[in-house]
Amino acid sequence: MNLEIRAAIEEFLYHEAYLLDHHRYLEWLDLLTDDIVYRMPVRVTRERREGDDVHSVAVYFDETKASLEKRVRRLYVRSAWVEENQPRQRHFVTNVMVRPTDETDEYAALSYFLVLRSRGSNHDLDRIFGQRDDRLRLVNGTWKLARREILVDEASLHAINLSLFF
Amino acid sequence: MGSLKPDHLRTIREAMDRGLLPRWVLTDPDIYALEQEKIFARTWQFLAHESELPRPGDFVTRWMVHDPVIVIRGDDGVVRAFLNSCSHRGTLLCGADFGNQKVFSCPYHGWTFNHYGELVGVALANQVWGPELKREEWGLRPIPRLQAYQGLIFGNLDPAAPPLTDYLGDMRWYLDLIMGRTGGMEVRGVPHRWVVEGNWKLLYENFTGDPYHVQSTHRSTVELGITPNRTLGADRKGYQVVLQNGHGVNVTLYTEIPERPFQRMPEETWPLFRRHLTPVQHDLMQRASVFVGGVFPTLSFVSPLHGTEGDLYNFLNFRVWRPIDPCHVEVWSWFLIDRAAPEGYKQAAYKGYIDSFGPSGTLEQDDTEMWARVMQASQGWMARDRTLQYQNVMNYLMGWGRVDPDPGFPGPGTAYPGLVDAVSRSTHRYWFGLLTDGADGEGDLG
Repeated sequence: MNLEIRAAIEEFLYHEAYLLDHHRYLEWLDLLTDDIVYRMPVRVTRERREGDDVHSVAVYFDETKASLEKRVRRLYVRSAWVEENQPRQRHFVTNVMVRPTDETDEYAALSYFLVLRSRGSNHDLDRIFGQRDDRLRLVNGTWKLARREILVDEASLHAINLSLFF
Repeated sequence: MGSLKPDHLRTIREAMDRGLLPRWVLTDPDIYALEQEKIFARTWQFLAHESELPRPGDFVTRWMVHDPVIVIRGDDGVVRAFLNSCSHRGTLLCGADFGNQKVFSCPYHGWTFNHYGELVGVALANQVWGPELKREEWGLRPIPRLQAYQGLIFGNLDPAAPPLTDYLGDMRWYLDLIMGRTGGMEVRGVPHRWVVEGNWKLLYENFTGDPYHVQSTHRSTVELGITPNRTLGADRKGYQVVLQNGHGVNVTLYTEIPERPFQRMPEETWPLFRRHLTPVQHDLMQRASVFVGGVFPTLSFVSPLHGTEGDLYNFLNFRVWRPIDPCHVEVWSWFLIDRAAPEGYKQAAYKGYIDSFGPSGTLEQDDTEMWARVMQASQGWMARDRTLQYQNVMNYLMGWGRVDPDPGFPGPGTAYPGLVDAVSRSTHRYWFGLLTDGADGEGDLG
């Protein structure tokens, strides 16, 4: 594994988290390829012998660039109350593992995340954690996110909503 | 009842008589305890849709507020529901959300139960128990009443509860519309679940009795064209329909049959509407835009139009407001769609659902922020004081003494045109009647 690539991808992930935490969603959109597949399936509790705990149909997000743009555009409208008053949020990204793929300009990156969000003076924090299975692509010398599958670790979420991105 | 006195209940009734509701009923622990006993232990609560249990052995685990419930389709095809708790020492029997099993074994001491709830296996039965253990007495505890309407399976903890059909009353007419219109609905995926800040009554009311909030809470989605604005469109008219037992429904109709009738359902399904609806229902359905309503106490539904990329799609969203404590609710949100719809439409409608409702939905996001704000402002003494010395009440006066019912509305119930608080006032009456064993009017509270 090329350490330079690994460092560049880590830097990409930290930069992305910085933009999201600072409500710079428009700049975040620029990090995504036009053909991005952005999914967050529902996690379920099952008997182990009955199969996967990632649901094959139920999702929280199943987005294209266009639908993400629409979600982002809404957050900039004055009456998007999830951003007014603006919550304080932090994406902690760790356990990054980078692997080459069959495509020369694409790398797979697995990372863990913990997102905490505070609104107003409220002591009830939103808390979301899990892992992200990413595909990063080098486009004209710039890293872009081409695919993300977010696995959240709770079957019943400890967040009043998912207005934020992961 | 704790420290709750007849005088406190009287202040509630007096406020309701003036179109108000004391704010303390949202957070009061004694009211919450009384609601367990008088409401949640006596009313019909939604458990599952039949399409979630298509095959023998299929099961789902659910909650009736704090009671864990397992709903199983037996190998005889019949759906049954039991307390999801081993009869031996009370262990949570099945920890899975759903699945298919022949038997359910308790991991604690190894007792095993079949689809009928019968105790069919006891560890070391012959060595330590002998014939004194009467297995027929140690089956799973059945949910006393289990009935279905339009595929919606409800349970009731009260063995003496009136039949579900009586409880639903005229709501059946509207469930026939939204559930039965093309011959049946199906659940896609599994319900979304998440915990929000809010008292269950507030959330029930947000869907069942409060279309007024759309113009402000959901202004951003209206501005972006994600959701139609029912308060502005001159081509549409909204009705709020008061039904029995705290139920209610809001119906938005186009004044003329739109170019794409039947809530924009695909054309190949249109003949099914005629087959499955009465002529009156068919006419209403052609002009329907949005239905949003609720079956008291904890079930709400919305049948809207939404889409992410251009076109708008119709779907049906059911949700159970499962109270966790007075100030928190675990929301269970199901996506349903007409079985007869083409797969492509179902997929597009599902995307419309996650874009609008559920935890990631743009409309729901702003709702949850509002509920949290109400709860944050409801913890202090001015909001919690039961004697109402600060006159701290919520306002349900919209349309009171000002808007008359429209006898021309084609459906059953009392239908008010425009934006009114009639359903919420009716819901409060019913809620209070249950809490006080029928003292909904001038009865004795003491």
